[in-house]
Amino acid sequence: MSVPRRLEAADIRDEWLGWALSTLPADQTAAEAAISELYERAGRPAPRFLWVGSPNAAMEFVPAGIPMREFVKTLSIASRLATLGSELREALDRRVGHPWALAWGQGEPDPLDAEVRDPLRDFVRDGVCTPLRLALPLAERLTWYGQHDAYWIAHYDAWRRIGGRTFRGLNGQLDLWATLARSCGWWWPMEELCVVSLRPVSVRTEEQRLHSEQGPAVAYADGWSVHAWRGTRVPWWVIADPTPDRIAQEPNIEVRRCAIERLGWEAYIEQAGLRLVATARDPGNPGFDLLLYDLPGTVWGRRARVLLATNGSVERDGRRRRYGLGVPGHLDDPVAAAAWTYGLSTDHYAQLARRT
Amino acid sequence: MTVNLATLSDRTGLAVLEHLERQVAIPVIEGIQAQGDLLVVPLRLVGAAVTVRDLARWQDVPATGLELLRGAAGGNPHSLVADPGTCTWTTDVRDTFRLALGVFHNSTPVYLLHPEHGATGFTPGAYVVRRQREFDHRLTLRGGGGHRLIAD
Repeated sequence: MSVPRRLEAADIRDEWLGWALSTLPADQTAAEAAISELYERAGRPAPRFLWVGSPNAAMEFVPAGIPMREFVKTLSIASRLATLGSELREALDRRVGHPWALAWGQGEPDPLDAEVRDPLRDFVRDGVCTPLRLALPLAERLTWYGQHDAYWIAHYDAWRRIGGRTFRGLNGQLDLWATLARSCGWWWPMEELCVVSLRPVSVRTEEQRLHSEQGPAVAYADGWSVHAWRGTRVPWWVIADPTPDRIAQEPNIEVRRCAIERLGWEAYIEQAGLRLVATARDPGNPGFDLLLYDLPGTVWGRRARVLLATNGSVERDGRRRRYGLGVPGHLDDPVAAAAWTYGLSTDHYAQLARRT
Repeated sequence: MTVNLATLSDRTGLAVLEHLERQVAIPVIEGIQAQGDLLVVPLRLVGAAVTVRDLARWQDVPATGLELLRGAAGGNPHSLVADPGTCTWTTDVRDTFRLALGVFHNSTPVYLLHPEHGATGFTPGAYVVRRQREFDHRLTLRGGGGHRLIAD
């Protein structure tokens, strides 16, 4: 792909990423018009609209259970819209020349897909939308994602804007979905009522996934929020007040790991009173020690230890950061444990000439 | 010519943190060295575990630097810097520990530069660049037990 085209693709990706992460108030007029037209295309009259402050607030108004048939011979609007959308994507895939979701092992993606489709799928769908979904009982509720549908809309938008594809009569419906991605949060269509959520008021990410060290990663105007640590949804205390006691009582191992990372290994070792197994001089870092501690069995669920080491370079404030690394429980020698982290023998690690 | 952080920073365009000493000559060393979450080890020392594939594709390491790995925050790469035509790099390697990023061959000193960790130099030879790992409950690899790779 030429450099100018790559830059154009990056612009399209960033434009849609901006909408996916948008915290603007909803454009209610535009959203209602687009949803009404989708109802019409699905053969149903426009619904009444109920706007709610968050997806959580919508749960009260959206009954659980996927509505297959409203009455005996008529498909529910949710089913009709699902069919409408999937038929659109199939037709667009034929115009693009390959399906949106390639099966594994079909080789390198097209450069345009590598620039737009893949990063947005990873960031918007997997990094943001999925952790939010997991916070709610959505398995039994057909949900449309508004701004978070941007990841698939951007793909077709890129192919029509710079991929040389023309969609002709398909543009009309694609534009409706695109309008929704630019104007509202998640929505739930029912026969006479459509519940639509506002967008969040704050979204914090790092490395293409939800992450916040202070407060929730996603917060809505009605107060509902989701905390996340490096892409994993966690209870509020992991971010706000992680303690060894809470960590010991937490049943979910992933949450325990996140809480220890949030607290920091050095603080965790001290506050939890871990037993020191052994110390040794770090051969690769003159003047500094390696410290090996026993981890309680409740932390990883199997025997393990943690090695506390010191960075080879100084921080801005002149200090050296200490960091903890999990190591297998059978290692008794701190130098052997350090060697293990690099796949080296103890003898080889002891020859480490310099650490920066 | 003395190579220091200022030289490498100019050549690569990578800014190094201000508190690191920019004018001191960077030591060029033989043997095993670590930089943050990366380990550079002479190939002969880990020849039992690491092999370069027969049809490996090698690329020249440019004077402006080759990014080997980016840190977790996204912004801080470990970059390999060499004089043009003196160092080649391949990722077509097998490592029984699955830690190797690749192997480089250099005929003159080559430098590993990181904005936070500074720089270090390597005498001519063949080296494996490995990532650091941590014991992990989630993965169970055949023969090795579970581990995950570190990104600092």
